[in-house]
Amino acid sequence: MQRRERNLGLLYSAPLTIFLFLAFLAPICLVAAFSAMPEKVFSLTQMPDFSAYRTVLEQGYWKSVAWSLFMAFVATLILLVICWPLAFGMAKVFKRFTLVLTIGVVMTLFVSENIRLFGWVLTLMKGGLIEGYWRHWTGVGFDAPLYNGPIIVFGLVYVYLPFMLFPLAQGIAMVPDDARQSAYDLGATRWQILKEIDLPLAMPGIMVGSLLTFVLAAGAMAESKLLGGRAIITIADEVQTAFTYGQNWPLGSALAMVLIAIIGTVAIWAISKADLDKMMGRKA
Amino acid sequence: MKTTRFRSGLLVAYGVLILAFLYLPLVSVGLASISKARYLSFPIRRYAYGWYEEAVTSDTVRDLLIISLKVAGLVTILSMVIGFFGALAFARYSWRFRKTYQKLILLPIFFPQTVLGLALLMWFNALDIVPSWKTAIVAHLVWIAPIATLIVSIRAFSFDAALEEAARDMGASQWQTLREVTIPLLMPGVTSAGLFAFLLSWGNFPLSLFTTGADSTLPEWLFAKMVSGYSPLVPTVGMLTVLTSAVLVLGALLLAWAIRRLRPTD
Amino acid sequence: MTAKTPILRINALTKTFENFTALHGIDLNVDDGEFLAIVGPSGSGKTTLIRILVGMDEPTDGSVWLRDKRIDVVPANKRPTCMVFQSLALFPHRTVGQNIEFPLKLRGVAPAKRKERALELLDTLRLPRDYYSKRIQQCSGGEKQRVALARALAFDPEILFFDEPLSALDYRLRKTLEKELKDLHRRTGKTFIYITHSLEEAMVMSDRIAIMKAGHFEQIAPAEEIYARPKSRFVAEFMGEVNFFDLVNGTASDVTMSDSAGASLAGQTGTLTIRPESLRRLGEGDSADLSFEGVVEAEYLLGSRVQYRITLASGREMGVEVLRENAVPGGVGASLTVGCDLKAAHLIADAQSTEDTPNAAA
Repeated sequence: MQRRERNLGLLYSAPLTIFLFLAFLAPICLVAAFSAMPEKVFSLTQMPDFSAYRTVLEQGYWKSVAWSLFMAFVATLILLVICWPLAFGMAKVFKRFTLVLTIGVVMTLFVSENIRLFGWVLTLMKGGLIEGYWRHWTGVGFDAPLYNGPIIVFGLVYVYLPFMLFPLAQGIAMVPDDARQSAYDLGATRWQILKEIDLPLAMPGIMVGSLLTFVLAAGAMAESKLLGGRAIITIADEVQTAFTYGQNWPLGSALAMVLIAIIGTVAIWAISKADLDKMMGRKA
Repeated sequence: MKTTRFRSGLLVAYGVLILAFLYLPLVSVGLASISKARYLSFPIRRYAYGWYEEAVTSDTVRDLLIISLKVAGLVTILSMVIGFFGALAFARYSWRFRKTYQKLILLPIFFPQTVLGLALLMWFNALDIVPSWKTAIVAHLVWIAPIATLIVSIRAFSFDAALEEAARDMGASQWQTLREVTIPLLMPGVTSAGLFAFLLSWGNFPLSLFTTGADSTLPEWLFAKMVSGYSPLVPTVGMLTVLTSAVLVLGALLLAWAIRRLRPTD
Repeated sequence: MTAKTPILRINALTKTFENFTALHGIDLNVDDGEFLAIVGPSGSGKTTLIRILVGMDEPTDGSVWLRDKRIDVVPANKRPTCMVFQSLALFPHRTVGQNIEFPLKLRGVAPAKRKERALELLDTLRLPRDYYSKRIQQCSGGEKQRVALARALAFDPEILFFDEPLSALDYRLRKTLEKELKDLHRRTGKTFIYITHSLEEAMVMSDRIAIMKAGHFEQIAPAEEIYARPKSRFVAEFMGEVNFFDLVNGTASDVTMSDSAGASLAGQTGTLTIRPESLRRLGEGDSADLSFEGVVEAEYLLGSRVQYRITLASGREMGVEVLRENAVPGGVGASLTVGCDLKAAHLIADAQSTEDTPNAAA
C-alpha cells in the first residue's frame, strides 16, 4: 500500500503539476527573461542589459509601488477591525445566521468585480442612488465622493472583505470556549479576554486573512480605475499600461517582476509556515 | 460568560448591515437597469423593461453569451477532472513531494491576475498561439483548477482512508476502488468545485482581458462599455449575468437541501 | 487441543521505518480454525503486523505463508484474507445490503444470488432481514459491527483479521459482542486473528494469546498459561496487578519462607511474582509457604472484594486483595500477616526482564 500510495500520489498530481509548470511557472520565467532585455524590444534575442529596472527606479514608478502597498496595508487594517465582530459572531454567537451570511458573502464573489464597482459608481456619483435621493428629499445636493485616494481604499475594503472574513471566522472558531469561559471565571474583563485569549489563539486565522487581503489588494487595479478615476495609479495598472499603450514589454516585465517579488515573498513566507494538512483537518 | 441577548442582537444587526453594504451596489445596478431614461439619474422617475428586451434580442449580447458559456463550461469540466485527481494527491495519499505540491498549487491563487494574464499573453505569443476564447480557458484554469483542487480536498480530507483499503482488501482492483468507493464519496466535493469553477470563470475579467484575443466575454464587454461612457445596456447586461449566477447558486443550494431532506425517509 | 496444520506461517518478519524498527524478525504459526489474539500496548507493532498480513504494508524482510503459498508478495486485493477495520470502513454511500454484497459484486456474482447470500448473513449475524435496505447511518454502533462482520464473511476469507473493532463501543455492548464473536468463530470454524490492546477482551474470546512488546512476541500461549506462568515481568504486569520480589540464591527480602518452600527455591535466582488475589490473611497459628508482614497503608473497596496497599518491613509496598468477609478488622494502620502457597507464586527465572521494568513493584 505504501508503494501504491507513493505512485498514485505522483500520478494523480501530474495533470495539475504539469499544467501549472506550463501555464504558470513558464510564463513567469518568460516575464523574468523579458525584464532583463533592453527596452521596447519584442524578442529575447538581444543582450540582457537590465535597463528596464533602471527606468523603474528613475521614472518614479516606485511611487506606484509604494502607494499600492500603502493602500493595501490600510485596507487590511480596516478590514481587520470591520470583520472581527462579524467573524466572532459567525464563529461563536450566530447559529443559522452564520449559514445565511456565508452564502450571502460567497455569492458576491461570483459577481464580476467590475459590475460591483460599477454599482458603487452608480450609488455614489452625483445624481446617483445616494446623492440623487438625498437631493430629492432635502433639496440640497453634494459632490460625489469619487475619484480620489480614500475611495480606492474603500473599494479595496469592499472587494476583499470575504477574504478577511472567512479566515478570521475560521481562526476564532479555533479558540476553545472553555478557555474563554475559564478566563472569565478567573476574573478577566472582556477586553482582557480579547487580548489574552482570543487574539493569540485566533492568530493563525488573523495571519492568513491579513496576508491574503494584503497580497490581493497590492495587485489590484480595478478599484483605482473605476472608483478612483486613476487618482492614484497602482502598480498593476502601470504594468498593464507599459504592456499595452507603452508597447514596452521589458519595462512591463520589470514592473511585474517587482510586484511578483513583493507578493511572492509575502505569499511564500506565509505558505511555507502553513501546515495545510493540519489546517484542513487531515485524518492521521 | 453568556453572550447576552442584547449583544447577539447587536451582532446580527451588524451582520445585516454588512450584507446590505455588500449588496447595495447591486441594488443600484438593478434599479439602473429598469430605468427608462437613456441617461441615468436618481431618483428614477419612470421604470421600463425595454433594455432587457433589447439585451436579450441583441446579437452582440448573444455572441458574448456564447463565448462566456463556452469558456465557463469547459473550465468547469476540466476543473472537476483536474480537481478530483489533484485533491487525491493533495489530501489522500502520502507521497514524497506532497508538501511541495500543496504549496505550488496555492501560488496561482495569490498571484495578481492582471500580471498573470499579461504573462500568459506573452507566453502564447512566444509559442505562436493566437489568443482566442480557447486560450482564455487555459488562463482561467491556472487560477480556477487550484481552487477546485482545494475544494475537493476539503472533502478528501474528511474521507476515511480505511474505506479504500477495505475495498482493496475485499479484492477490488485499482479501477474498481476508484469507481465503487472513491468517486461516489468525493462526488459532493467535485460538484461544488464544478459550481465554483463555473461561477468564477463566468465572472472573471482580469484574466479574460488579455487572453481572449479578438473574442470577448461578457465581463470584458461590460468593462469596455463602463470606461467608454455610460450605456443603458451596461446595467441591464450586468444584471443578467448577476441573475444567472444567483439562479445557479440558489438552484444548487435548493438541490442540496432537497437531497438532504429526502434521504433519511427512504 | 487436537493437532492442527498451520494455516499461516510468519517467518522472521521485519519492518523498518525511516528511523525505527516496528517489527524485529518475528515468527508465528497459526493453526487452521484457531482464534488467536495479538495483544500489546500502543506502539508495540501489532497494527503494523496486521497491516502486513493483510497486504496494506510491505515487510522490509521475512516472509508470510498461507498454507503452501507465499503471500507477502501478493497485493492486498489478491489475498484470500479479509480484515474488519477499527473504523469498520463501512461504505456510507451504500445500504446495509449493498455493503454486505460488495465482495460478491466484485466477483461478478449475479444480483439475485448476492441478495440471497446477504440475507443469509443477516440471519447469521442476528440482524432483521429488513435491514437489507437500511442506510449505514441509520444503524447503531452494535449493528454496524454486525454489518461489517457480515461483509467480511461474505468475502469468505481463509483468515479473518480484526483490528480492534470493538474499541469504540461502550463497555456493556463490547461484552455482548465479545461473546457473539466467540460464538461466531465456533459456528463458522474459520481462523480468526484479532488484535487488541485489551487483554480482558483477548482472554474472553481467544484460544491463544500472543503478547507483543516493542516489535516482538513476549509470550504466545493459551490464556491460563499466560496468567499463571508469565514469561516476563512485562507479561505478568500486562495481565493485571502483581507483586514482584527479587529472588537471589533462594532468598528474598521481606519474604518469610516455610522450610519446604525454602528447600524448593534454594539456589534459584529470578523474580517471584505473586498476584494480590492469591494472597490470604494469616491469623495466629496459620502458616503458608510464603508469608509477609506489614501495615495497612490504604484500603480500597471493590464491591465483593477489598484491596489493600500494605507496607512491608523494608518499606516497600505490596498489593493484597481479599474477599469482603475476610477484610482486615482495623483497616488503615492495622498490622497484618498475609501469605500464599508456593504454587500460587510464579518464578520468572529469566533475569533479563528485570532490567526492562525497574520500578515494577506493585
